[in-house]
Amino acid sequence: MKTKKRAGTVVLSVCLIAVALIYVIPFLMMLLGSFKIQAEAARFDLALPTKWEFSNYAHVMESGKILRGYVNSVIITVPVTLISVLLGAVAGIVISRRNDRMTRGIYYYFIFGLTLTLQIASIFFLLKALNIYGTFFSVICIFISLRIPFTVMTFCSFVKGVPREIDEAAVIDGCNFWQMSVKVLLPILKPIMVTNIVITSIDVWNNFMIPLFYLSSAKKATVSMAIYSFFGRYNRDWQFVFAALMLAVLPMLILFVILQKHIIAGMTSGAVKG
Amino acid sequence: MKRKKKSIYPLYALIPALVIYTIFSVVPIAISLLLSFTDWNMNRLFTPVFTGLANYAELLQDPVFLRSIGNTFLFAFATTILKTGIGFILALALVKKVAARGILRTIYYAPCVISITVVGVLFKSILANRGLLNNVLSGIGLEGLTRDWLGSYGTAIGSVIFVEVWMWAGFNMFIFISGLQAISADYYESATLDGASAYDKFRHITLPLIVPSMTVVVTLSIAGGLKVFDIIYVITNGGPGFDTQVLATYTYQSFSLGFLGESTAGSVILAVIVVIISFAMNRYFTKREVEM
Repeated sequence: MKTKKRAGTVVLSVCLIAVALIYVIPFLMMLLGSFKIQAEAARFDLALPTKWEFSNYAHVMESGKILRGYVNSVIITVPVTLISVLLGAVAGIVISRRNDRMTRGIYYYFIFGLTLTLQIASIFFLLKALNIYGTFFSVICIFISLRIPFTVMTFCSFVKGVPREIDEAAVIDGCNFWQMSVKVLLPILKPIMVTNIVITSIDVWNNFMIPLFYLSSAKKATVSMAIYSFFGRYNRDWQFVFAALMLAVLPMLILFVILQKHIIAGMTSGAVKG
Repeated sequence: MKRKKKSIYPLYALIPALVIYTIFSVVPIAISLLLSFTDWNMNRLFTPVFTGLANYAELLQDPVFLRSIGNTFLFAFATTILKTGIGFILALALVKKVAARGILRTIYYAPCVISITVVGVLFKSILANRGLLNNVLSGIGLEGLTRDWLGSYGTAIGSVIFVEVWMWAGFNMFIFISGLQAISADYYESATLDGASAYDKFRHITLPLIVPSMTVVVTLSIAGGLKVFDIIYVITNGGPGFDTQVLATYTYQSFSLGFLGESTAGSVILAVIVVIISFAMNRYFTKREVEM
């Protein structure tokens, strides 16, 4: 019985490692390919480079606009994350605490947004009419509006679990709404804050559609767009493409490994509430 | 008494969120509903002409559009089934004490923090005619299986489905793992005392209690699948020909060609499909959830 069980675990482990290889091999090929010369990189195999071409990275840094992409992605991601989490938190507190007919209506109005699909042409028309097409500002506004339903929903359900007495005690001590929110509720809401910050920043950082549709100029390209257009220009020089991909992936993977616990807890608990 | 008191939670605090959300999410839907009934293009951006159902009629006669509806459904249902199934199996395996459990979980999860453009370009090099997959296949003596994966219909749509599943199965795995961990060990213990087999326990304890997680995973996956854009845009761009065109890429294509009316009508059709299917799915599963 016991040996049978052990044999089972071994078979299971082997299967799991085989599946893991499907995940690791593409990254391995990318890593090795980024150090190869053109002919070797184009062979798409897992052989070690005969000569390690570190200069591939220097070339990509110079011509790939990847750094510019980083700056642009930060310009978009940071304000979207801060503002959407802030607005979502405030709305979540007010809606779940008032819980009257009007705020319940507003809640469903926000939740309706979760099923909306992106209206490419209509948003284009709107941005043109408002005369903000092609600006970071417009893209930031679109992202915030897309994130708000989710942040409102998650904050609402979290605040419901926080006892009202805490608010009341703070009010008796002389706090107004804003003081109470910042001094008393903020520390309690930290877990759901982290969840929303993680989900929003990953979603916005990796998003390819919105910048593609509404940021026309190459100067404003985000990392995702920079990679895509780099691939378009260098699709015969796979060593450069791999190096560019590495530059795009590396910071995310390092952050992921460091913040793993928060990211996984954040992304899945957010999804479960969704 | 309490209701008379002025609430300390000010309604005006909702205004910023309401304004941004209304302008950039709700107003565009209204614009779409209105302008999808007009002859509207790039040259006459601000002067659309009412034409009734002409755009919808035109779309429904366009074989490419009909095909993209079919592809959208195929993609959404195939990826949902595979992402859910594989995620669930991985969760069942990794909720046990297996060697290197932590590392394996991390590896399976990693793709979903990476940009889709990176994944897409990477898989283009794997699935290309002389790419990694064909090299591996001929290396292990399966030359007969090598083909131009992105070059013909069946394998092109199959390839994008595979990449989508590759990216998101690990995410679903984590939702299932947290669902499985929430099931009390007492149920299993008392079932063991009653002499239940492993299959019985799985069928009568695990499955019914995992339905809430199933609801989340399926609803998210199906809505995501119906709205799919970037993975297809990056890997096949709707090709070869129009073989992997889906609704979102179709509407983008007609938008970039300047046919705003047709594009908008397509967006409206997609929006209606997403709303109907997500509500239907959610109801179906919510009915089956076990009260805990």
